[in-house]
Amino acid sequence: MSNPLLTIEHLRVDFPEVVAVNDLTLTVSSGDVCGLIGPNGAGKTTTMRAISGLQECTRGSVKVGGHELASEPGELKRQLGFMPDFCPTYDQLTASEFLDHFARAYDVPNRAKRIEECLELTWLKEKTNALCEELSRGMKQRLVLAKTLLPDPKVLLLDEPASGLDPLGRIELRKILLQLREAGKAVLISSHILTELSGFCNTAAIMERGKLVMFGTIAELGQKMGRRQMSVKWRADGGKPMEILKNANVKNLEATNLGATFDFDGDANTLDELLKTLVVQDVRVSEWRGIGDDLEQIFLQSGAKELM
Amino acid sequence: MNLNDNPIFITQRRLTHRAGVLAPIFIAALIGLSLLAGLIAYRADPNDFHFNSLQEAGKVFYGWTIGVEILVLVIGGFSRISNSLANERKAGLWDSNRLTPLKPCQLVTGYWLGSPLREFYMAAILAGTGLVIVLLAKLSITLWLGTQILIFSTALFFGLIAVLIGMIFQRPQGGVILLVLFFLFQSFSFAMPKFVLTNFLLPVYGIANSFMDSDNSGNDYSIRNWGGLPQIFGLPINPILLSLGLQLLVGIFLWRAAIRKTANPFQPVMLRWEAVAIFGILLVAQHGLIWGIWHGQFPEIQPWTGRPKFYESEPLLSVVHCGTILLAIIILAAASPQPETVRVTALRLGVKNLGAIFAGSAVSLAVALAAIVAVILFSQCAFSFGGSWEIYIIAVGNLLSFFLIFSLLLEFCRLRHRRRALGFVALWLFILCVLPFILAGVFTNAAIGKLSLLSPGVVALANPNDDNLNYLLGIVAGHFGIVVLLFINWERQWKQLLVKAV
Repeated sequence: MSNPLLTIEHLRVDFPEVVAVNDLTLTVSSGDVCGLIGPNGAGKTTTMRAISGLQECTRGSVKVGGHELASEPGELKRQLGFMPDFCPTYDQLTASEFLDHFARAYDVPNRAKRIEECLELTWLKEKTNALCEELSRGMKQRLVLAKTLLPDPKVLLLDEPASGLDPLGRIELRKILLQLREAGKAVLISSHILTELSGFCNTAAIMERGKLVMFGTIAELGQKMGRRQMSVKWRADGGKPMEILKNANVKNLEATNLGATFDFDGDANTLDELLKTLVVQDVRVSEWRGIGDDLEQIFLQSGAKELM
Repeated sequence: MNLNDNPIFITQRRLTHRAGVLAPIFIAALIGLSLLAGLIAYRADPNDFHFNSLQEAGKVFYGWTIGVEILVLVIGGFSRISNSLANERKAGLWDSNRLTPLKPCQLVTGYWLGSPLREFYMAAILAGTGLVIVLLAKLSITLWLGTQILIFSTALFFGLIAVLIGMIFQRPQGGVILLVLFFLFQSFSFAMPKFVLTNFLLPVYGIANSFMDSDNSGNDYSIRNWGGLPQIFGLPINPILLSLGLQLLVGIFLWRAAIRKTANPFQPVMLRWEAVAIFGILLVAQHGLIWGIWHGQFPEIQPWTGRPKFYESEPLLSVVHCGTILLAIIILAAASPQPETVRVTALRLGVKNLGAIFAGSAVSLAVALAAIVAVILFSQCAFSFGGSWEIYIIAVGNLLSFFLIFSLLLEFCRLRHRRRALGFVALWLFILCVLPFILAGVFTNAAIGKLSLLSPGVVALANPNDDNLNYLLGIVAGHFGIVVLLFINWERQWKQLLVKAV
């Protein structure tokens, strides 16, 4: 059983005339990267601000690493890294001075070394002595990410971290997030780019009008949606895969080069059974996966009214 | 943690130095050296100047030096702190800093002492030059020491106000304009410097008095006004100590407010007990300063050698009455809860009765403040109450009705008009306070002017022998009619809000 690092229970945040977050309950465990998905105004940013204590909660509780926001905000801050959807930097400081400011604030040991590591991790090493105002938006985004990673927090809240990044930057961000996942961090990430999230999220929370519509692992959510689009590939020399698939409960079966795509209505166990059948009948399966935009599909099928 | 370990201070220092400090330091040095050169020129050839002595010349040149120093340190520092905090708040850096494990006191100290470093450097140069001027002019070193202590304590005092303004207001420039306006209006109190509290909260009296006492020079008028020690309930007290004491007391509350707002921006600026305490302290100090005029036997002025004739005709208590209203308005506005905060609290705690609303609203605080005034004002007529009770009742009744109307109006407008609340409050206050004076002018009938919310107390205290006290009592009673009407509507608005708190 994984260790829950971020626990939100019955969170409610009120704005005048609107309940921004209503009865939100979710858990992000060590090694989980949870995609927070929802249309504009769904309450994603408010949720993140409430978790970090920047937004007053009406009700509910937030725990980070076992520390309650209401009673132990100081301890909670040490375990939490929050990267907002814009890039607050001191324009007249250099990148390393900016990180030094936060390294001192977090009392990071071996400050200089850690700053260098974070600059390297966010591929900003050559900009060490550049003023923040000279950095592009994407670079500032990376610098703020470096600042968030600096104290090595257990829980990371990343609000639209990829929004200012170029394609290469997004690939690097994905690598960093996968590293964080492997390092056992709990990451809650919101993004408009669902294909990006699909690459590294193992859980997702879909919000609409302040409420949590769905929450679970990607597989669970796909299962809840009923139909999954699958892709299978095999080696040339084994079995009769197309016949097996035709006989199984699949729809829209289409052959591809040494493989096929199909829609599957059954539950996860039935899907597992299908894979087992293929293998047992000598099909040398080389790839078996849900098609790329799982989260996009889940989101579109979840009934959220407006695409982000 | 000392300042050199405080990341906010270090960053503010880096930002200040990166923006350049040499030019401001040169400007300060140029001003200081010019004034010093003036004194040296006087020493070289006294006939070219209109000073009677070296000391007088030294005082003039030193006076100019500290004038510039005050401008740089108090106004410039205030502007710098409030601007840098407001800008960092807009940029999201304030939130980023608040999310670090830094303690609120470290955050506040960093901005408070770090943002105005450029101004501190300039002030240090001017203070150094001032010291040379004082020594060259053979003036007492205590003149330099006393004035510098007062200037730096005032800069710190206003720096704390700037921190709060930067935290609360979107546009801190408004705070600077208010500060400048305050300094301008403050100058009216120079007619009675020893009796007005603001002359001690700002160290105007302390500084001027240092110049007077150093060699007793100056004309009769200035010695009468600015010489000698002020008294608190008859006890003479050093004006520098009085200024430092007042700034320290009020500063403690400002510090607490800044810390509280940093720890949780959703907290009120002022807790209720703090509002009561700060109001009480300032009012006791103010009434203590003027106590010597009546010795508790208002309106009979008591013989007091040294008091200028001017004060015998001056309606000082009515001026204090107006000041009390102004202070109460500031405190009530600061302590009045936002409807949204009340609604969220009602949701959180599940408390939805009007009793809880009343206890947390500015209306109950208005009653508490009026009670404090009633007790303190009694000190002015305690030994003549038999003859002055009507004036006392009018003044206290006027203050109570004013405080209640203001707090009810403020909360009613916030509930009813939301974002436009301030405009409506101003409109209603204009109608209730100013319009009667305009109508009195139009119809050339002074009695209409007395209908103003401001009038009964001011008129009764300024003209204690007025035969028309019953008319004023009637007006106060009429004002309570407005209170009742407002209360009914205020209650209805709160009930509507509580219905929504689900």
